[in-house]
Amino acid sequence: MLDIYFVQQIINGLSIGLVYALMAIGFTLIFGVLNVVNFAHGEVYTVGAFVGLLLITWVAPPLLVVVLAALAVGAVTGVGLERIAFKPFRRFRDEASLRSRAMREATLLSSLAASIVAREVMTLVFGAHMQTIPQAYLLQRPIAIGPLSITNGDVVIFGASLAMLAALQFMLFRTRIGLSIRAVSNSPMGARFVGIDTDRAIIATFAIGSMLGAAAGILVGLYDGTITPQMGFAPGIKAFVAMVMGGLSSIPGAVICALILGVAESVTTDFLASGWKDLVAYAFLIVTLVFFPQGIFGVGRERA
Amino acid sequence: MTILKLEDVDVRMGAQQVLRGITLDVGEKAVVTVIGSNGVGKTTLMRTISGIYRCTAGSITFLDQPITNLKSHRIVRQGLVQAPEGRMIFGPMTVRENLVLGAISRPAAEVSRQLEHVLSLFPLLGDRLRQKAGSLSGGEQQMLCIGRALMAKPRLLLLDEPSLGLAPLMVQSIFDLIGEIRSQGTAILLVEQNARAALRISDYAYVMEGGRIVLEGPADELSADDRVQSAYLGGKAH
Ligand SMILES: Nc1ncnc2c1ncn2[C@@H]1O[C@H](COP(=O)(O)OP(=O)(O)OP(=O)(O)O)[C@@H](O)[C@H]1O
Ligand SMILES: [Mg+2]
Repeated sequence: MLDIYFVQQIINGLSIGLVYALMAIGFTLIFGVLNVVNFAHGEVYTVGAFVGLLLITWVAPPLLVVVLAALAVGAVTGVGLERIAFKPFRRFRDEASLRSRAMREATLLSSLAASIVAREVMTLVFGAHMQTIPQAYLLQRPIAIGPLSITNGDVVIFGASLAMLAALQFMLFRTRIGLSIRAVSNSPMGARFVGIDTDRAIIATFAIGSMLGAAAGILVGLYDGTITPQMGFAPGIKAFVAMVMGGLSSIPGAVICALILGVAESVTTDFLASGWKDLVAYAFLIVTLVFFPQGIFGVGRERA
Repeated sequence: MTILKLEDVDVRMGAQQVLRGITLDVGEKAVVTVIGSNGVGKTTLMRTISGIYRCTAGSITFLDQPITNLKSHRIVRQGLVQAPEGRMIFGPMTVRENLVLGAISRPAAEVSRQLEHVLSLFPLLGDRLRQKAGSLSGGEQQMLCIGRALMAKPRLLLLDEPSLGLAPLMVQSIFDLIGEIRSQGTAILLVEQNARAALRISDYAYVMEGGRIVLEGPADELSADDRVQSAYLGGKAH
């Protein structure tokens, strides 16, 4: 007989894992086209949460509108981030410049700087304390399924994440901009020879990745009931770990690893005080780097 | 009528000047070849025409429009398309996706008609549309690379070493294909190590050495030239 409590922990873990997955996809998409890590991705998540909160306190629209607004602001934030922190350091001429360490290190630092500035600005504007979500929007209403008791938050996160994953898949495989993004990820030079506007494909990548990140932020805000300017940091780390475990540029790999990570965290809170649960991600990261330097699902990349 | 015109084009890579004063013309429906040994700057020339590298001096004109230092995707949109050295196909994507991407500069409504046209030139690719491009043989990948370029309906097709690393039979079919593409009204600028075969199908040719053009002329005259004979055709052929 399966322990009911254990099953509930797994469901919890899958919800958290899906949130990590939404964030990890942003990391993975951006790493795919530029071969760099976007350190400001966690702040995009926070921005999504605050936009949702502002909308809720000012307008109080239906939940769907809150999520759509977070998606829209996420897209704008992503594009702005790319223009400010990435584009100025890109000298995109040929294979040699694509492998350039200088470019990679410069954008690493500029995205880190952007993340610090964004976090400090949000702290100045909203204060460092926790903002609480109005009761009506909290996604904590219990739903009983037989002996199981989940929350409407689990249902919303499952539904929204799966819808976004399906939309992403459609976009990447069935639309011109999606094909362009995959082409640039695979061979930036080949992409230029066929006539892809690589700059546009990169902007689109930031927009899409940041949409998913911002949506994750507001969903978690409503699920947990609190929002702070620092809230993006921990999930950012988890999503980063999922990306590395998944092999850096594999979306299915990142999603599966994010789910594994979420479930592992949730289950280990049985054994560890919950303050220690962040250790799980670090442990996974170390194990991956030591034993699977290519990632668990990593295949040799053209541009390693 | 000339469709491509380079005038005094210089290209510098860091401290090194790779191209010096290149002046070159491609006429309508012509096949023009550039020959030269390794490292003389042929690929640099092709990439500069396609807008991948910047000219440090000189000008490039395509269909009477200046395209000097235009972005590469704008140049493709005007009908100047390259099948690059090393093929640069998208290995993890399917053959169909590669071909569809080739038409990214065209209106979406044209893609299926263009796909049909390209598949009629490469029936072999038609059987492999769902296969990953990276799993094709070298010759098939070269066909895909040229097919992908043709998807953009080029007025001028640049081919950088299309026969590199292929078996003799495959090389022959590539050269046959070049003839067919030209007969459909597309001009071709070709870079080839296989100078003999290239000169045979060309109207005009240029010889490059050390980043300069050192010799030019109608292909049959160049084939008969003693310097070309000894340096690129391995001595007297007949
Ligand atoms: N990105 C670059 N940076 C610096 N030097 C370069 C770069 N690309 C090419 N070169 C140099 O320019 C010269 C010409 O190279 P290019 O590739 O154009 O020659 P090629 O004629 O195509 O040779 P091959 O027959 O081997 O293909 C070489 O000396 C090469 O080292
Ligand atoms: Mg070359």
